[in-house]
Amino acid sequence: MSVRHATVKQLGRRAGLVPVAAALALVLASCGGSSVSGGGGGGGEDGGGATEGGGDVGPVKIGLLVPLSGVYAPLGEDMEQGFELYLEQNEGALGGAEVDLVTVDEGEGPDTGVPAATRLVTQEQVSAVVGIVNSATALGAKDTFVESKVPLVVANAGANDVTADASPYIWRSSFTNGGVAAALGAHVAEQVGDGSVYLISADYAAGAESTAGFRETFEAAGGTVAGEAATPFGTTTDWQPFLNGIRESGASAVYTFYAGAEAVGFVTQYNQFGLAGEIPLYGAGFLTEGGVLEAQGEAALGVQTSLHYSDTIDSDRNREFVEAYQAAYDEVPTVYAVQAYDAAAALDAAIETAGATDSESIAQALSEVGEIDSPRGPFTFDENHDPEQPYYLREVQESEGGFSNAVLSELDQ
Amino acid sequence: MSADVDSVVATSQSRRGRRPAPRVVLVAGVVLVLAALPLLLAAYPIGLAGRILAFGLLVVSVDLLTGVTGLPTLGQVAYFGTGAYTAGLVGIHLTSNAPVQLLLGTAAAMVVALVTGAVAVRTSGIVFLMVTLAIGELAHQAVDSIPAVGGSNGLAGIPPITVLPGGEPLLLTGFVYWWVLVVFLLGAGVAFAVAASPLGRSMRGVRDGEARLRALGQETYPTKLAAYVVAGAIAGAAGTAWVALARFVSPGDLAFDVSAFALLAVVLGGAGTLWGPVLGAAVVIGARDELATYVGGRGSLLLGVIFVLAVYLLPRGIAGVRRPARLRAGGSR
Amino acid sequence: MLGWLDANTATLLNGLALASVLFVIAVGLSLVFGTMDVLNLAHGAVSLVGAYVGVGLLGVQGSIGLFVAAVLLAAAIGLVLGTVLAAMTTSVTGHLRQALLTLGVALIVAELVTEVFGNDVQRVRAPIGLDGSVSVLGNPYPVYRLVMVAVGIVVAVGLYVVLERTRLGATVRATVADRDMVEAVGIRTTFVLGGVFAGGAALAAVGGLLAAPVLGAQPGLEDTILLLALVVVVIGGLGSLRGALLGAVLVGQVQVLGVALLPEIASFLLFGAMGLVLLLRPAGLLPAVGAK
Repeated sequence: MSVRHATVKQLGRRAGLVPVAAALALVLASCGGSSVSGGGGGGGEDGGGATEGGGDVGPVKIGLLVPLSGVYAPLGEDMEQGFELYLEQNEGALGGAEVDLVTVDEGEGPDTGVPAATRLVTQEQVSAVVGIVNSATALGAKDTFVESKVPLVVANAGANDVTADASPYIWRSSFTNGGVAAALGAHVAEQVGDGSVYLISADYAAGAESTAGFRETFEAAGGTVAGEAATPFGTTTDWQPFLNGIRESGASAVYTFYAGAEAVGFVTQYNQFGLAGEIPLYGAGFLTEGGVLEAQGEAALGVQTSLHYSDTIDSDRNREFVEAYQAAYDEVPTVYAVQAYDAAAALDAAIETAGATDSESIAQALSEVGEIDSPRGPFTFDENHDPEQPYYLREVQESEGGFSNAVLSELDQ
Repeated sequence: MSADVDSVVATSQSRRGRRPAPRVVLVAGVVLVLAALPLLLAAYPIGLAGRILAFGLLVVSVDLLTGVTGLPTLGQVAYFGTGAYTAGLVGIHLTSNAPVQLLLGTAAAMVVALVTGAVAVRTSGIVFLMVTLAIGELAHQAVDSIPAVGGSNGLAGIPPITVLPGGEPLLLTGFVYWWVLVVFLLGAGVAFAVAASPLGRSMRGVRDGEARLRALGQETYPTKLAAYVVAGAIAGAAGTAWVALARFVSPGDLAFDVSAFALLAVVLGGAGTLWGPVLGAAVVIGARDELATYVGGRGSLLLGVIFVLAVYLLPRGIAGVRRPARLRAGGSR
Repeated sequence: MLGWLDANTATLLNGLALASVLFVIAVGLSLVFGTMDVLNLAHGAVSLVGAYVGVGLLGVQGSIGLFVAAVLLAAAIGLVLGTVLAAMTTSVTGHLRQALLTLGVALIVAELVTEVFGNDVQRVRAPIGLDGSVSVLGNPYPVYRLVMVAVGIVVAVGLYVVLERTRLGATVRATVADRDMVEAVGIRTTFVLGGVFAGGAALAAVGGLLAAPVLGAQPGLEDTILLLALVVVVIGGLGSLRGALLGAVLVGQVQVLGVALLPEIASFLLFGAMGLVLLLRPAGLLPAVGAK
């Protein structure tokens, strides 16, 4: 691949377990600086090299902040692959500037993710950062980016608050928790007609935002809620009592938000306890996305979800993308890969527009990039810097060699 | 049930006050180096150093209970979290003045430690360990489920601290580090002072033979509770320092692995010495946050190897390295 | 009352199914502490290995025969891990250093498992023939969970017979009560202790495998299992077989029935209950006779 500099991670692999050398490297790398004078912080100044009127720019140092360890590592791997595929398709350059990519581990939560973000901005002095899976990490790291004026393109974390105050430095190529759910509201209301819907989700911020987003559009379209449950986050292994509650409520459909291990647990038990055949299950797309769907297998058949991507989207742009992705990594792309791929596309356009690679110019140019030609369908950034994008109604169906989220239709918004 | 739970601790008795003059020089030298760090290091490494100091102060509070008093604890995150969340809330709603945040955070942690400790210190040994685990986990769940403090998303948007009333907000990491260092020195100073005081002697008495003291008719409850409240206050101060630096606090900061690593940092550093555990904290944070980058996110593998090796190579922790037998016998130098 | 029972039968059964695997896992932790005075924090990691034996052998749904083979393989790996851990801990004194050692081992084992199987959530399927549902009081109920309860009962009865009715069991019980005395009558406790450690780890691995069709297999599972097992053994009383059983049943019902009845405070129930028990009965509900 054409990325010139090895990532920190790869360097480490080559060097093996040499903590002493690593510690020494840290000390040496950090010497000669000072943390009490103004010039120390703020990325990008030395990556500048801007030339007037286009022509050759760069190189540009970009940070990729994705989980390489912990429960979100599979998402991080997809994001890394998506980002690198875009670079590969563009000769290792963004906006004509050769990319020096620095990948660091976000870990599971903000306790590791926030320091890692600070590291990219202050130590590596990158011009822009792409990534962040965990919402708490995105919220915790946000101020660092705003204050050091380095643009961050969030490529997953969906907390509504991340973009609530529309900082010129915070952008998002993924989604908001509320947005994904809201897309489904009207459709489900139409489907159940006079019936009602039960809402169940993990008891944490993302779950609450998701059900709130669904409820809003669902009730606006005349739907009624039969009942609501929030299950303890991270500790629930047994959904049967809640499934009883659903049965007793007499609901004619269920809307749910779960991800990761809980999505596997919920969907398989929904099937095991015999609800799957009786009460249609709807959810935000993460319920059946990527490795989670593999684990659920046939238990997920018939589950319908809304999301801004599926590898089965019927467009030339997407087919071309899926083909390239499969050729490179021998697996179908997930929404996480696309989000990182599109973050690269946004930076590509921004650097092209700016004709410069310093962080301030990139941030400014991000507001002028216009439409991004994404595999998910073209999208633009809205006034909060979130993607204004199509959402799809997907259904889990059997496909050759496994299961996939087949697109039924585009959801009206 | 487990009278020997602290036998490891008993082996690393502090030898306080033997050679006062070199000790003062040593401490002054270390403080000087720590204070000079912001002039030498760039923003990221100084942030790392600050996190080590804040976590190190939490570990000192764990050692005060575990090493000095013989009460192994997994619950100090509750008071660390109380201090951190209090400082964060004060910062958002009241004032960015760091000394005010320190005072209120420490006071809140003290109150919570008094209430919970009043029950917890009725036990000892493994049972105390599990009761404090319960306290830590309950605190973790509590902040996770309160929307007013951000729930699982954490408390974000904390403004940068000011030190003097009406002063400039400290945006540069080096200046914030100096404040963290001040808090660290205050907290560690209190810990050492307490350990050297008559209370400290009673605490070591509890560690070395609570049953014997009880049999002699001595009441150990007040000693244990006093130790618990002091340790809680120090953990709370550490929490305010943590928040001053990170300007963010989330339930993850109160999670089980933080308690576990804090306790292991104590054992790794040398329980009962108070200063050894700070080095243990540096190893833990350094391995997890810094060296992990060089081994492709395998920080926990690295920590595991360090822990296992330490058990066999450093039977008395890092602090035990300092005194090889022949030097101790020689006495000079 | 009957109506309540009818509505909650499935919930109670689920609690028992969870209790069964918790007992199988926790009993080793408890006996190792009772006999060797070692707090083995690598116990959850051993269960994690058991769960991933299921992933490796049963990734595609297998027959009952294959499932039995997986159980045997998990037990064998558990025996080996337990023996290694016993050997590693013999020279290490003090609970805190043992904690440092065993948690270090746990971190290494978990990371190696992740290296092999990846970070993805994996589902282990119940074997063909046990994956269906039967009607319990008119509601469909998964057969596999009834099997879990049955296995839990078999293990409990088997352990009871071995510990209470055999010479070997008498030696183990005597070692819990007074190790020096057993040494004094000329029994090499090292072998007894190594055997308990290995057997306990084998059970932990099997428990992890049995639980896998319900709990799944993913990184981090070892912490969840370790915490639950610790709660089980301290609630019941360290070193006590009956205590581990009672603790497992209580924790199973708190985690399932408690969450169902009191969803608002569900996250606080487990540790709240443990704190309460320990404050009222510091030695646990059914402490081992003669334990220190």
